[in-house]
Amino acid sequence: MLALMFEFLSAQYPWNPQAIADLLWVIVALPLAGAFICGVLGRFMGRANVNFIACATVAGSFLLSAIALYAVGSQSTQFISPASGAPVRWALWLDLGRWFSAGEFSAHYGFLVDRLTAALLMVITGIGFLIHLYSTEYMEHDEGYWRFFAYLNLFVAMMLTLVMADNLVLLFVGWEGVGLCSYLLIGFWYQDTEKAFAGRKAMITNRIGDCAFLIGMFLLVLLLGATEKMGRETALGRANFTDISRARAWVTSLHDQGPLNIEVLREWAIRMPAETAKNRQGMTLGTTITTEGPLQGKTFGHVLTAALLLFLVGAAGKSAQIPLYVWLPDAMAGPTPVSALIHAATMVTAGVYLFCRLSFLLVLSPTAMAWVAMIGALTAVWAALIAFAQNDIKKILAYSTVSQLGFMFMGVGVGFFWAAALHLITHACFKACLFLGAGSVMHGNADETDLTRLGGLRKEMRWTWVTFLIATLTITGIFPLSAGFFSKDAILHGAHISEIEGFPRITHLVYGLGLFGALCTAFYMTRLYVLTFEGKRAADARIPHAHESGFRMVSVLVVLAFLSIAGMVWGIPDLVPGPGGRNVALMEGYLAPAMQLADRFAASYDTVTHTESSPLPGFAVAWALALIGGTVAWLVYRSWLPARAGKPLPQPIAVFWRWARAKFYVDEVYEALIIRPFTVLSKGLFKVVDAGLIDKVAVGGTALTLRKVGSWLRYTQTGNAQNYATVMAVGLLVSIGVVLTWVLR
Amino acid sequence: MDGITLQHYLFLAALLFSLGVFGVLVRRNALVVFMCVELMLNASNLTFLAFARDSGMDVGHLPALFVIAVAAAEAAIGLAIIIAVFRSRGTVNVDDIRTMRL
Repeated sequence: MLALMFEFLSAQYPWNPQAIADLLWVIVALPLAGAFICGVLGRFMGRANVNFIACATVAGSFLLSAIALYAVGSQSTQFISPASGAPVRWALWLDLGRWFSAGEFSAHYGFLVDRLTAALLMVITGIGFLIHLYSTEYMEHDEGYWRFFAYLNLFVAMMLTLVMADNLVLLFVGWEGVGLCSYLLIGFWYQDTEKAFAGRKAMITNRIGDCAFLIGMFLLVLLLGATEKMGRETALGRANFTDISRARAWVTSLHDQGPLNIEVLREWAIRMPAETAKNRQGMTLGTTITTEGPLQGKTFGHVLTAALLLFLVGAAGKSAQIPLYVWLPDAMAGPTPVSALIHAATMVTAGVYLFCRLSFLLVLSPTAMAWVAMIGALTAVWAALIAFAQNDIKKILAYSTVSQLGFMFMGVGVGFFWAAALHLITHACFKACLFLGAGSVMHGNADETDLTRLGGLRKEMRWTWVTFLIATLTITGIFPLSAGFFSKDAILHGAHISEIEGFPRITHLVYGLGLFGALCTAFYMTRLYVLTFEGKRAADARIPHAHESGFRMVSVLVVLAFLSIAGMVWGIPDLVPGPGGRNVALMEGYLAPAMQLADRFAASYDTVTHTESSPLPGFAVAWALALIGGTVAWLVYRSWLPARAGKPLPQPIAVFWRWARAKFYVDEVYEALIIRPFTVLSKGLFKVVDAGLIDKVAVGGTALTLRKVGSWLRYTQTGNAQNYATVMAVGLLVSIGVVLTWVLR
Repeated sequence: MDGITLQHYLFLAALLFSLGVFGVLVRRNALVVFMCVELMLNASNLTFLAFARDSGMDVGHLPALFVIAVAAAEAAIGLAIIIAVFRSRGTVNVDDIRTMRL
């Protein structure tokens, strides 16, 4: 199959953008087919074949994604937007036709690849492939390998659907699909009750977010419908649709492509200026909706803000932000490659991706931006504080992921979408490296995850040590020439220089929290590194000597460690000339076409303003903080604590330690405030409705009635033919009587 | 002959039919029940023929011929069943034959 693909692709060179667009579906179809083959036939194919199929399909997707990436790098790659009739450059679009329609709503099955999607495609298929490769060794002793690879392939397919979808409905399919795979893989070892429970926890927490996501989509549908109606029915609304042919294209596509198509939403955003826009006639976001419908009496802007805040809840569920982050640390019950792929590199970044995709809507609502930024900043600090006192190597990395996702939300919230996307990508590299390094540590130490029973691994696991060290330096920013340093500090710089309209102080708060979060990151990551690799091997280790992992695992670690350094190329500030005549980072310039609309809105509506200033002083501060955090952790865990062995900790630290170790009792609070009342309510409902009404009254009642009636009717069955004949005769007589009276009446 | 009208035939037929029904419902001997069924069949035959004659349409004879044929077949099978029942149970009293009850 791969050979055929190669032949086909090389015959097409130089690639015509349309030919590449026509192939976009294959990117999703390949891992989907792999999932089918592994899942249905995997058990009979043997380990090597399953490994090959799983890796090859993802590699094929990677290849096609690379071609798509190449294509969107050229200006001649463009498609005609169905919503405006204008060309969209640096993007590919494939419309596979209508998926479904209900009433006035319709949704298409379409794929859109612009530069944002293309960058994410490289992460998903590239890191996805590396992790598949790593898993072939990591899962070599597991009997359920075929199930594992089927889920993993399905996950890749779903994640690709999520990022490539050209409308929010299809995006939601991917959104739910990755949630399903996450559930299946967290509970992969389902015989272990605790792990199965962790899977359920993830599923249910995500459902809460997904519910909000759905309502947000409904609001958007209503909002676009109300816009069209007001444009038709009111004089005020008609002013927004004076450009007849373009307006007609939008209305047509609103009904054909559906209101949740990205291009349709984009065109809507262009048509609905903010109140602050100059020289506007017609409707603005401050206009009250007057046409009949559920939104009557609300302003467009308020409904949009409500929808975006609902999306924020949805994104908080998937991307593990406050208050829905609790599932992610428990999700570490799954196999380690799963933690690396799903719960660090790709799926949990879906919320960040969603806001980057809808960046042009987000910048229209300063309230939503402030919330996103605040939630991100709080999560970044909160999760980092919890990570201080955890002893499970994977749990620390999980909280670190939550914290880093908080940084990305901060970036999104202050309008630095490119920085958030860049941090998403670099985080995918170094966090995958850290997780896979942790997996390698577990693999070589009989599945030991307790930090206090590891230590001194730098001599026994050379490669794991080196790569883990590099990734740690990257995530903490202690070594400034690394991907993580530049991407995180691009976000911090963004928070520093931005101001959200109507929330004058909030970006300062976000910046302060972000700096504190960075300091904490340096501390807990250094602690993790020191306790795992430095010092002497713990006395109560599970096995006396660790062994280094095999070639496949180590090579993946090396590649990822390399990427965690090399990714900095994208984040070095002022590297290339960008839009507006100023120099920008490579990533900002690269994503400029995708973020163009958001930047335009931000600039012309002043919803978020950026003061131009050099990022270098900020970088110096961040580096200093990283050095302080790292040094303190080093001193504490290399000399202070060992010297104090046996003595209790000073009182304040001990209290903090106890609280942080217990994750600030958030799980317990949720248990008491939400889960317990819910369980009681459910139990009551079960007893009254299920056991009482349905079981006893409905089901039992029907059976009882039938049995009683039957036992009475038994007496009429005498078995005497003459009795039956009598009944028949009487019946006949009565019938004749009735018919006769009816005829003769 | 002129005094005998359609009504007379029909009354006779109705009487015969009612006698048949009465016999089927109350007599205990299966053989008599069987004969009563024949009576009902012939009552209907009489009706058919009376109407045929009254209306002058000979096609009315056809159902009567069919009924005779069916009655003959029924007699053959019915008598065979009665004999078989008598052989197996030693009685043809319908009250004693209650195999229709589970």
